[in-house]
Amino acid sequence: MKFELTEEQNLIRDMVRSFAESEVAPSARERDEQERFDRQLMFTRLAELGLTGIVFPEEYGGAGADYISYAIAVEELSRVCASTGVTLSAHLSLCANPIYLFGTEEQKQHYLVPLATGEKMGAFGLTENSAGSDAGGTKTVAIQEGDQWILNGSKVFITNGGEAEVYVVLARTDREAKKHRGISAFIVEKDTPGFSFGKKEEKMGIRSSPTMELVFENCRIPRSNLLGEEGRGFSVAMKTLDGGRIGIAAQALGIAQGALDQAVSYARERKQFDAPISQFQGVQFQLADMATQTSAARFLVYNAAYRASAGLSYSLESAMAKLMASETAMRVTTQAVQILGGYGYTRDFPVERMMRDAKITEIYEGTSEVQRIVIGAALCR
Amino acid sequence: MKILVCIKQVPDMESKFTLQERWYDTHDLAWRLNEYDEYAIEQAVAIKEQLGDSDLTVLSIGPARVKEAMKKALAMGCDRGLHIEDNEVEQRDPQQIAALIAAHARDNHYDLIFCGMQSQDRASAQVGVITAEKLGFPCVTTIVDFHLQDGSITVKRELEGGLKARVSLSPPALFTCQLGLNTPRYPTLPNIMKAKKKEMITVPAAEISQEAAVQETMDIYFPEKKGGGLILEGDAGELADRLLRILKEQTTVMG
Repeated sequence: MKFELTEEQNLIRDMVRSFAESEVAPSARERDEQERFDRQLMFTRLAELGLTGIVFPEEYGGAGADYISYAIAVEELSRVCASTGVTLSAHLSLCANPIYLFGTEEQKQHYLVPLATGEKMGAFGLTENSAGSDAGGTKTVAIQEGDQWILNGSKVFITNGGEAEVYVVLARTDREAKKHRGISAFIVEKDTPGFSFGKKEEKMGIRSSPTMELVFENCRIPRSNLLGEEGRGFSVAMKTLDGGRIGIAAQALGIAQGALDQAVSYARERKQFDAPISQFQGVQFQLADMATQTSAARFLVYNAAYRASAGLSYSLESAMAKLMASETAMRVTTQAVQILGGYGYTRDFPVERMMRDAKITEIYEGTSEVQRIVIGAALCR
Repeated sequence: MKILVCIKQVPDMESKFTLQERWYDTHDLAWRLNEYDEYAIEQAVAIKEQLGDSDLTVLSIGPARVKEAMKKALAMGCDRGLHIEDNEVEQRDPQQIAALIAAHARDNHYDLIFCGMQSQDRASAQVGVITAEKLGFPCVTTIVDFHLQDGSITVKRELEGGLKARVSLSPPALFTCQLGLNTPRYPTLPNIMKAKKKEMITVPAAEISQEAAVQETMDIYFPEKKGGGLILEGDAGELADRLLRILKEQTTVMG
């Protein structure tokens, strides 16, 4: 058993950290305050560095790296800006990856290649008003008519919504079939007539990442845009979310590490009672817990990522990683705000943003409760 | 054009150093590519982009771990790597390091050699200069600008006191690179992956040169802590002049 990163993984971490600190971090506060998505910085630059297709083979425009490299990239981006981290995660895990896993060769050439090279950005539409954790409750419908599918319905809380050019969307194709059996996955392009965007969400955190409603009104797409087999969309969605959890777990890990770094650095500088507060055991104990939990989360995340790359099952491991990392991020960021005290509560320091950003990681791509269902069911099967 | 870039792997300068008898303890440190060597790599890669048909070799001396720094250089655009394996590299003096580089360079007829201005750990700033001397190459130190046109080279070098000098020369030549020369590119992820496939040869140092040291580091130590920093006194105009002078002479903030 090896616990060391490879040379390539170390180089990737160095590169992404250096990019994140010098280019992404400086505008993180302002983008958060203005709820502004900066595509050039948060996507095009990532593409130039080869991050938008990390895990895909070179023949599909990717870099041919492994899932640990991907987790490291999302972690390092999220360490300074969780919005940039989730932009990459949603694009890669939720849109490009299902096309890679379930797409035909033609679909891969047509959609995966420009997604991997970053010429196009991706998003994923599963959640609806009445179908969140219960994906089987999907009400958006797709009806086949000649050579086309006609989509009607809407999707909510879609990360990268409005900005992305390619959407993987789940819709019910068999209204008679029960629950998840009659659902299929489709690829829908932006600017398709009948496909529009509704409300842009005003959020507590990850405010620099756009979250939009997708609206389909007699939206006609070619028959060939069915992704995977008809009626097997639920399985596409679940497989997609298994991978997505690695991305979100890595995002949460990065947020936790970012907050820990801020807290340690502040504690060493801040003097009270004539000594840096880092000299007080009470503060050291808090930092010790934060660091230990963050390290534990990191091993779970890298383990899930390792299994994904090795071709082993990773549904259980990615659920554990996401559960642990997201709850760690919430705890660690809350403690970081506490260590920074009054300053931590102001927007002059990034830990309050990190605390707001951390919360969503316990909710999206499977709430903590859903992760516990996945883990519990695997144990008790 | 054949170009050699000499790089060194140094500890992350944020590390907590523990000292041994004549050097710091090298266990459990995070290692980085020497900052000044990144400017050297960037300059060499920029020349290759300008000329098209250049061949870039990156050379580093040290134990197997230095190959990670070399991989970064390959990912930034160098074509091949020569790793001179030496597990006791920290005990070599600048003369011995330069002898290894010169012995390799002599047989390989490089047109240009780039080194960092100094290493971030030893900071002797001698290796480039001695290498040039051994090869009989002209050497320009602390360059902050480089132009190659029709086979002739014009560089700017940084002098003390905020001055700069313009120097012109022809290949073959050796340059040591200073902060401000360029902004090193990020090694992109696909290039990091491709670096694995580039040629990397390892040769034991003893097979290349066995030159003896001419100096010896007797001790290294942390200086005693001095409190208080520098306090300037006087009237505002004089203070501003003195502050400006200090910033110009002792820091790089005034460009």
